[in-house]
Amino acid sequence: MHRTVTWLVVVGAIAWAALTADVEMAKFAKAGPRLWDFLSRMVPPDFTIWQDMLRGLAETLQIAILGTLFAVILSVFFGVLASETLMQPYIWRSTRALLAAIRAIPLILVAMLMVGAVGLGPLPGILAITFHATGMLSKFYAEAIDNVAAGPITALQSAGASRQQQLRYGIWPQMAPVILRDTVFRFELNLRESLVLGVVGAGGIGLYIQTYVRSFQYEKAATATLTVIILVLLSELANGYLKKRVT
Amino acid sequence: MTTALTLSGISHDFNGEVSLSDINLSMESGECLALIGPSGAGKSTLLTLLDGRLKGWSGTASVLKKTLDANKPPQRNTRADTGFIFQDFALVDRLTTYQNVMNGRLGRTKNWASVFGHFSTQDHMIVGSILRDTNLAELADRRVDQLSGGQRQRVAIARCLAQEPKLILADEPVSNLDPALAEKVLQLLTGEARKRGIGVVFTSHQPELSQRFADRIVGLRDGRIQFDQPTHEVSEGTIEKLYFGSSTEPGLRVVK
Repeated sequence: MHRTVTWLVVVGAIAWAALTADVEMAKFAKAGPRLWDFLSRMVPPDFTIWQDMLRGLAETLQIAILGTLFAVILSVFFGVLASETLMQPYIWRSTRALLAAIRAIPLILVAMLMVGAVGLGPLPGILAITFHATGMLSKFYAEAIDNVAAGPITALQSAGASRQQQLRYGIWPQMAPVILRDTVFRFELNLRESLVLGVVGAGGIGLYIQTYVRSFQYEKAATATLTVIILVLLSELANGYLKKRVT
Repeated sequence: MTTALTLSGISHDFNGEVSLSDINLSMESGECLALIGPSGAGKSTLLTLLDGRLKGWSGTASVLKKTLDANKPPQRNTRADTGFIFQDFALVDRLTTYQNVMNGRLGRTKNWASVFGHFSTQDHMIVGSILRDTNLAELADRRVDQLSGGQRQRVAIARCLAQEPKLILADEPVSNLDPALAEKVLQLLTGEARKRGIGVVFTSHQPELSQRFADRIVGLRDGRIQFDQPTHEVSEGTIEKLYFGSSTEPGLRVVK
């Protein structure tokens, strides 16, 4: 009975989406030549704008670095509040609900609000990244605290270690790799996300891509896109290397 | 010889279920005592009490001439006087052998200096000498999560010795090891303790190992002491009754 209802809902949803969305299959036929035209105008990329690219890249990196830094600082605070082992249920439950609400707001919406609040430039980007990343990192940090094995801590306590010593030599060594891995992962996400923040005016290389596309300078847009691809590949490489180091 | 521990009329229950009942026990320093008995007999609970980590018991308990409080854990230096070896080793996996053994010194060092990574030359000398005594010097720089079970238990013993305890409590120290290794590890533990004049209380599921290494055996069942005798007086029949007979059976309760 349950399965039948599930299938009916799935099939119904697909049918509704396919039949009511304004999808004209005829447009597919025209898309090919247009796409070809668009791509051919991107070749060859215009590398004379390399200085602008470096500036945009630097701004994107600044947004990602500062956004991650502020998110880490806030997440240590909220992570402790969201930890089941350290806090009373009413505190960690309400903190986790707040963090879930933060994560539910799309980044691009936060960025638009921030641009409205503080104007164009990297600052709204940094604020948006900080806000969004705090929602995720705090949850990760809380889980890192809650997953610390109790046995070694009891052993240190039994050996006469103080609370500070237990934290330094029992809890921190267990938490550090998890926290470092999650932070590096979040930094990579922040970098990718800050690439597109420019689209809503929140600084970075995305702003250049937006400007070039709107002014039909596709060969310059191609250079900016290539720069983004290279940056993402480099950050993936760095992340992979760091992950191996911290396990 | 001085008295290492005295327990009088100790009782305790977990949510209404009796875990220790009217325990009376004393032990001289330097003595090696084995607590044996079936699962759920109260062996680990008794050791946890002696380590000052059990709450809510009744009776009077004194360990190394300090009276234990049923509601308050002992002070830092008192905790350092009693070494505890855990069944599952309880090592910090990502730290090296050396760092884990150095963790045993934490109760003996200046608090904030050690938090910032500073340990005295004496601390390093003690750790170095214990690593040699326990044949761990070559593994000093290896992370303990890369060691075998036997090596990890040796690290746990070394950490306990680094603490310079006056009494060692070992909870099933060899239950995770194969028989040959178990014998070697118990030999190391009791040998090093004897060399240093430290008393040892260990729990075990394996009566034959207890008979080989302990001076005295205490049989526990259902939270009660069923017998307390010098090792050479404990017969096969007594042990068999402890594990397979009824606790109310006559002739089983031979309390010294």
